[in-house]
Formats: sequence, C-alpha cells, structure tokens
Amino acid sequence: MNLDVIISYIPLYIEAFFLTVKIGWLGIFLALAIGLAVAFVIHFKIPFLSGISIVYIELFRNTPLLVQLFFIYFGLPKVGFTISAETCGYVGLGLLGGSYMAEAFRSGFESVPKSQTESALALGLSRKQLFWSVILPQAISQSVPGILANVIFLLKETSVFSAISLMDLMFTAKDLIGLYYDTKEALFLLVVFYIVMLLPVSIIGSFIEKKARFRTLGV
Amino acid sequence: MKKNYLKRILASALTLALGVVTLTGCGSASAKESPAEQTSSEASAQEQSDSKVYRTLDEIKESGEINIGVFSDKNPFGYVDENGEYQGYDVYFANKLGEDLGVKINFVSTEAASRVEYLETGKVDIVLANFTVTEERAEKVDFALPYMNVALGVVSPKDKVIKDLSEIKADDQVIVISGTTAETYLEKNYPDIKLQKFDTYATAKTSFENGTGVAWANDNTEVIAYAIENPGYEVGIPSLGSQDTIAPAVSKGNSTLLDWINSEIESLGKENFFHADYEATLIDTYGKDYEETLVVEGGKVADSSATEASSEASTATSSEAATDASSAE
Repeated sequence: MNLDVIISYIPLYIEAFFLTVKIGWLGIFLALAIGLAVAFVIHFKIPFLSGISIVYIELFRNTPLLVQLFFIYFGLPKVGFTISAETCGYVGLGLLGGSYMAEAFRSGFESVPKSQTESALALGLSRKQLFWSVILPQAISQSVPGILANVIFLLKETSVFSAISLMDLMFTAKDLIGLYYDTKEALFLLVVFYIVMLLPVSIIGSFIEKKARFRTLGV
Repeated sequence: MKKNYLKRILASALTLALGVVTLTGCGSASAKESPAEQTSSEASAQEQSDSKVYRTLDEIKESGEINIGVFSDKNPFGYVDENGEYQGYDVYFANKLGEDLGVKINFVSTEAASRVEYLETGKVDIVLANFTVTEERAEKVDFALPYMNVALGVVSPKDKVIKDLSEIKADDQVIVISGTTAETYLEKNYPDIKLQKFDTYATAKTSFENGTGVAWANDNTEVIAYAIENPGYEVGIPSLGSQDTIAPAVSKGNSTLLDWINSEIESLGKENFFHADYEATLIDTYGKDYEETLVVEGGKVADSSATEASSEASTATSSEAATDASSAE
C-alpha cells in the first residue's frame, strides 16, 4: 500500500463522498415523503389513488435501481424529457426508496390497534386530530426500524450511479483504477469512505430506535 | 426489550472499535514503514509474484480452453451480434489464435477500465479489447506486437462542430469512457475540460445521442465509425495526441504465451492476415480508404510519412520481425 498514492487520492474521494451523501440524502427525503403519502393513501383506502399506489409500489420494488435509472436517464430524453444526471440520481433513489418506505409506514399504520381509533372517536376527537395525534405518532414509532434499514439500504444503492456518469464513491474508485492502476489503494479508500458514511447512520439509528421504542411504551 | 437494546449498542460499539483498529492499523503500518519492513514487504511481493496468477502456454493447451477478454459493445471491433455471437476485428483475430492453439475460446466481456485488472487477477489469459499500448499500462501488463494503429479523435454534432478543444466552453461537458486513453489524455493535458464519464460504450453513446455532452472523445477509429453510422455528427478533430498502437496483452511475466502470440502475429503477417481481417470486419464501416492507415501487419508499424525503404529500416520492433517482413516482400 503506497501512502503517497492514498494521500493524493483523498481529495477526489472527499468530493465523491459529498456528492454521494448529497444525492443519497436528497433521495432519502424524497423517499420518506413519497412513502408516507403512499402509505396514507393505501391505509385509508382512498379511492382511485390507492390503486395507483399499489401499482407504484409493486413496480418499483420489483425492478432494480439500475433499470430505473436507465429508464429515467436514457429513456426519458427519447420522449423529450432531459434531466441532469444528479437529478436523475435522487429522483431514481427517491422513487425506489418511496416504495420501500411506503411498506415500512404501512406496517406502522397497521400496527396501531383498532381500539385506539374507536377510543379516540368515542372521546370526540375529530378525524384530523385522530390522525395527527393518535395514529401517526404511534405508526411512525413502529416503523422506525424499517425506515432506518431502508435508509442504509438506499445509501448503499448509490453505488450503481456510475451507470449514469455520476462520480460517486464507487465510480471514483473504478475510474482511478482505470487511470492509474493502483487497485489496492483505490479499493482501500473506497471501503473507508463507505464506512465513514454509513457507520454514523447506524449508530445514530440505534439511538433513534431506542427513543422511538420508549415512545410506543408511553414512557 | 431493554436487554435487546443493550446488545445492539454493544454490537455497534464493537463494530466501531473494530473499524477504528482496522483503519489505524493499516494507516500507521504504511506510515511508519521502516527500511527493514520495506524490504520484508518487497520480499513478500516477490513471493506473491512467484505464485503466479496467469496460466502458461502449456497449461492453456492442456486445459483445452483459453479465456480472452474482448469488448461486447464496441462495434465493429468487439461486439455481440444479433445471434449472440462475438464479432469484430479483435474477435476475428481472437478466433484465429484459438484455432491455431487448438483450444476452445471463452470470450469474457470486459469494460475499458477493468482490462488491466482482468489480467492482473488472471481472470483472462489474453486481452484483445482494442487495448492501446501506453507506458503506464505496460508497467502492469505485457503487450505483444501491435496489430492496429490508433490516435484519439473527437466527434460532435454537425450543427455545432468542435474543431479545436479550445472551443469547448467552461460549462460544456465532454463525454469519455472511464479507463480509456482519451480520458487519460484529457485529464492530463486539459484538466479544465469537464468530463462526463461513463463505464460502457453503450451508455456513453446513448447519452451522447441524448445531447448531454457537446462532444465525445475516444479512439479515432471509434468516433469515425460513429460519425459514419450517425449522419448528424462529424469528426471535428480526427487526430489528437500521439499516434499509438493497439496490441494484445497478457499478464505481466507470462512470457510463454507472449512469445507464442508474437510469433503468431509475425507468421500471420506473411499471409496478410490483418488485411483479411480488415476486409471481413471493418470495411463495411470504414471503406477501403482507412485500410492502410489502420492495419498493422506482422507486428511491424509502418511510418506513413516515410518511404517504404526507410520505414523498413527504422521500425522493426525486433530483428526477427524485420527479416520476416523483408522475406515476405
């Protein structure tokens, strides 16, 4: 392992790290928004929209991210929509993630016992109050483990971005190997940077999970 | 539930500790490498190269199969046709090598950036994927005699032809393929030009058609073929950088296979094999005009500007090649 090579590569990896993190988190926030909306629509059986939502979930959960990115990045321009690689990256990630997040939120909604709804209505809460103050907090705290697993999964999925020319960590490593053939150094840094990106997420995630669990127990 | 949680914290703490140990361990070892350690690591590197990754000529013959790395998406040099068969200039040559060795060929599809890796790890015996000979690459793999000439070229849409790299504006992107000589050349000599990098030919071409880049830089053979097949495009810069050659490559140190390929290329020169190859695979794309520019026969690069006599004297890569060539004439 050549230390000089590693040092000279670090700035490139830092650049790739920030790009990966930026696109990753934009995608994740989009996924959370889509997921929550879709889960809401399905759980409360909103006519018409719930049908579309189910099709959406099945479509995006059962196709690889790479296929979705190819479709968005190379397919859409053929029918007149050209979007930049970066936008394509987080939109693709958001759409894929949305379908997984929707399932996580949905299981959360389903875990709230019916008696909660009945009690709330019996106490005279409005539908709005019922949703925001009774169902949503409990549903979210139940879905936290699933959401966190999805967050880590989505951050790792960024490694296929090389296909649409985004210089993420994976592509930077591949590219440097192709340019200078210092395989060991490039791969070493790749692992280091992925750990630096994901380990804090895991740790903070465990902490949030603990908080969420107390909340379910009502402590 | 509480216990479960403690376990989780413990697990993540352990993971963290392990990670830190691994990282600092590696870092400090390479940072403080003393001369003594260096020699020992050199010694172990020596040992590693003794336990070779490649297969010798005899081992290949014995196994009855040879693994050849080719492109699967670089028409007309190496591609898969509509019947699922590998075709192209490189593949035509590969088939001849397999035939003369008397072994079955396993074609392995490679990406530009992974060609060196495939040889270094012994995943293929030969790379015949339009592999341009460069100094950096020659440090990692062994090149045989060349069989084709190449330079870089830049193709751009007809309505906005780029005839000089200085015409490229600061916001414009130039498409390149990761791991190609075009990428290396532009990174080195034009660091200000923004490159949009793709890992396969197929994605680069599609993206170029979609208009994400103002130009596409690659081997000139490739961009010329592209402009011929796609009427809306023109090769504004037909030759960029140095004139290079394309040659088969084998794993570093695999001398038995290398020697065999070299003698094969020399003897094939006598039957004008590569001209036949050109006429079988490239003529539909390039026509007759490029034949003498592109083809290198018998491993002997002819200097196009010099006379026949002087080129014969100056370019023989080995004395053997020279005698072969002159006896052929």
